[in-house]
This record gives sequence, structure tokens and C-alpha cells, in this order.
Amino acid sequence: MAEKVIQIEIKRQSGPDAPATWEKFEIPWKPGMNVISVMREIAANPVNANGQDTTPIVYDSNCLEEICGSCAMVINGKARMACSALVDKLEQPIRVQPLTKFPVVRDLSVDRSVLFENLKAVKAWVPVDGTYDLGSGPRVFPQQQEAAYPLSNCISCCCCMEVCPQFNDATGFVGAATIAQVKLFNSHPTGKVLKEERLRALAGDGGVQECGFAQNCVQVCPKQLPLTEAISDVTRDVTLQVAKDFLRA
Amino acid sequence: MATAARPDASPSSSPAAHGSVARGVEPLRAGKGNSFLLRKLHSLSGIVPIGAFLIEHLLSNFEALKGPLAYANQVKFLNSLPLVRVLEVCLIFLPLAYHALYGVYIALRGKANVIYYPWSGNWMYMMQRWTGYIAFVYIIQHVIRQRFMGVSLPEHPGAAFHKVQMELSNPWMLAVYVIAMIAVCWHFSYGIWLFAAKWGITPGETARRRFGYVCAVLGVVLAVMGLASIYAFVGPNYKNAPDDVMPAQTQLSMPASRGASLSEGYLARI
Repeated sequence: MAEKVIQIEIKRQSGPDAPATWEKFEIPWKPGMNVISVMREIAANPVNANGQDTTPIVYDSNCLEEICGSCAMVINGKARMACSALVDKLEQPIRVQPLTKFPVVRDLSVDRSVLFENLKAVKAWVPVDGTYDLGSGPRVFPQQQEAAYPLSNCISCCCCMEVCPQFNDATGFVGAATIAQVKLFNSHPTGKVLKEERLRALAGDGGVQECGFAQNCVQVCPKQLPLTEAISDVTRDVTLQVAKDFLRA
Repeated sequence: MATAARPDASPSSSPAAHGSVARGVEPLRAGKGNSFLLRKLHSLSGIVPIGAFLIEHLLSNFEALKGPLAYANQVKFLNSLPLVRVLEVCLIFLPLAYHALYGVYIALRGKANVIYYPWSGNWMYMMQRWTGYIAFVYIIQHVIRQRFMGVSLPEHPGAAFHKVQMELSNPWMLAVYVIAMIAVCWHFSYGIWLFAAKWGITPGETARRRFGYVCAVLGVVLAVMGLASIYAFVGPNYKNAPDDVMPAQTQLSMPASRGASLSEGYLARI
């Protein structure tokens, strides 16, 4: 029986300012492969389809079970997690390229620190640090937990931002992930102490108002976060906050 | 986490101030700028007053189905509103100019990606921008040619039907009006849906879907009414309407009821 071969084309770039080129590989098929395991095979034997020696592919990945958010890349034209992109379900040649809206570090590894900056800008945390024991927090009822849980599933993969037509250099839009985290932490009985600050932050340039409701975010989200619902709710809260601030000024 | 040159967005300085090249999309400018207000104003102005005016305009146009005199009376009624020129500037021209110019600014900054992500919401996102562009170009020529060129309708409401009929007698212009009518009704009805979604009126997925049906019905009704009005001008019912069905009067010199009866007499003679 002839050996089955996986054809894969990878967009490579040796550094942030280096030119990008496509490199083709042919890798022996094994059962249950995903895009990450294909690239591990390349690393084990870094030879491209022309038989030339090359370097292993640089990429981010960690958990390999779609829970860490590291391995988001554009596979066959769609942003998704490489670990859950099963080779047997992909059209070949598989074309893999880095996320297009984030600066390339090298090959498929991109700099997604903009999300971290955004989460810091909206204080996406529960403030409990202090110099003495604050005691136990307020009780969170199961109903509240169930409402919050879907939003807590965000893995910071940035797919929602990659597919958003409004997330670009011109708008500097904050993106769906950060808005969803604002809803999450504003609904937390202790986290909501920062609610007004978060809402005011989101009324800044690049805030919720830049959303064009193309709804790509909610389509692409690997963790099925209710992103459009969060954007709708948070935009209402931001609008009310701005109105209150205006009248109390 | 790997980083590629973008420095921490420290609250005191912009990335450019670091002297290094900023890469990628800029982080949120928390609490800075006034684009929130401008954007919300853009969104609101599309509903009131512009959307309200659109409905008024389409309802007024619908009077054309009753013939030149009914249409003239509608034009005359609108021009008899108190402070009508102030209303025209404050509730139509200024909001419309703002909505149009800021809308183009918004559209130019979006990067549509329907080729890669051909999903319905994404299509509607793109269509909202394209129908906006169509409306932008159409309304500029429509206002110039129908409001500010040719016979002035506020002074001569009786000439309204003839003026529009002459415009639509050009098949190219007719095509422009038909396309623009559909585009504008699309833009408005999806705009209502977007307004409800983005202002947090319909956060729920099911609520948005249901409201989508409502907006779709509204859009179709408005477009059909608009197209029917166009048909009134080009169809066989009122061919070769007279230049002016209220020739001998001005608003100031004659009460409306007498003007109407005189005109009917005039129409009966022709």
C-alpha cells in the first residue's frame, strides 16, 4: 500500500521585518494528526517538499486541547486553533499562515500582547489584593455562576479580533474578547466595584462604539462565548454610564 | 509570551512617543477621545431625525399614486409647516450631512473580509456600507437637482409632479432612482436592527432574530411603497402631467382650500 502523504504549505518569515515566503512540505500521514503534530513531524525532519534542508517551524502552542489559546493561526483561510484542526478534516494542500492582524515574531508565532494591554486597560480582574485578610467574599448564587461561566471560558486566542472587520490599524478597536471580559467582571459581586471604571475605559477611542456588528467574532469563537450578547449588553451599560457622567458633571 | 516590539501602552505616552516603530493594532485608549459620542450620535441620527424623515418622505411620495393634484397638496402641506425652512435645515440637512460624512468615515476605516468569512452577519456588514455609499451619491444629486435646481417647489408646489416626472423620463435616471430606493430602504431597515443590537435593546440572540424579521418586513414594505410611487410618475395613469397644477397662486396670497378648489377647476378644464 502506497504511503499516504500530507501536503502542507506554511507561510514563513524569519523575523518581524523579514519578507514572507510560502514553503511546502510533504509529511507522512499518521492517524489522528492535527496541524500542530504535522509541524512536530517537520521539526523532527526539517526538509521541505523540494528535498531541501530547512528550519523547523516556529509557532506557539501548549495544551493541545483547545484550552490554552496559544495556537491560533489562519488555516485554509480561516482563523482557528491549530490543535483542533484535524488533518483528516482539512482540504489539502493545507495552507497555514500566521494571524494577519498581529505582528509576526517569526513564522507562525505572533505578538498578541495587544489583548493583554486591552485587558489591563479595562481592569479585567477582581480587586482583592490588600494588606489584611478581607475575609470570605460575597456568596455567588448558582444562577449567577451559570450566567458568568460561558464568559469565563475565553482563552485569549484572539480569533475574534482576527476575523473582525473593525479590528484594524485604522480603528484600534478593542475587540470582542475584552468587551466580554468586562461583562464577566462587572457581573462578579466583588469585581463590580470597578464597574464604572471599566465602562468609562470602554467609552474611549477604540472602545465598544467601533463594533460594526458583523458578528464574525461569535461565529469563529472556539469556545462559543456569547460575544455579540456581551457587546450589546456592555454597550448599553457604557452608554448609560456616559449619560450618567454627563448629568452628574 | 512572545512579543514583537510593541512597547507597553503606558497611560502617559503614545507608542510613537517611545521612538520605536509601533506594530499591530493599537490598544484601547481608555477614557480618551470623543469617538464614542460621535459614533452614538451617528447611530441615533440615522433613526431620528433621518429615519423619521425618510418615512415621511416615502409616505408623501405615496400620495403621487393619487395623482398630480394630491401630490401637489402634500408638497404644499409640508411647506406650510411652521418654521419649515428651519425644520428643513435642523432636522434634515444638518443631521443628514453629519450621518453621511461620518458614515463614510466609518466605512472607510472598516476592512471587510467577506471573501474569507462569508457569513450572513458579515455580508450585512458589507451591504450596510455599500448601500450607504449608494445613498450618499444618490442623495447629493437628488437634493441638488430636485431641491435646488429647476422650478422651486416650496413656491410652486403644483409643479412637483411634473418636475419628478421629467426627471424619471430619462431611463438612466429611473434606474438610479429604483436602485437608490432599494438601497436606502435596505440601509434604513438594517440600520434599525443594528441600532437595537448595538444600543443593547436586543442583546439576546433570539430577540435579534425576531427583530430581524420585523425589520425585514418593514424594509420590504417601505421599498415596495417607494417603488410604487416611482411607478406613479412613469406609469400610464398620469402621463404628461401639466407643468403646474396650482399655477395662479402662492402660499402667501391664497388660502389652501380655495387654492385646491381653483386647481381642481383648472384640472377639470384640461
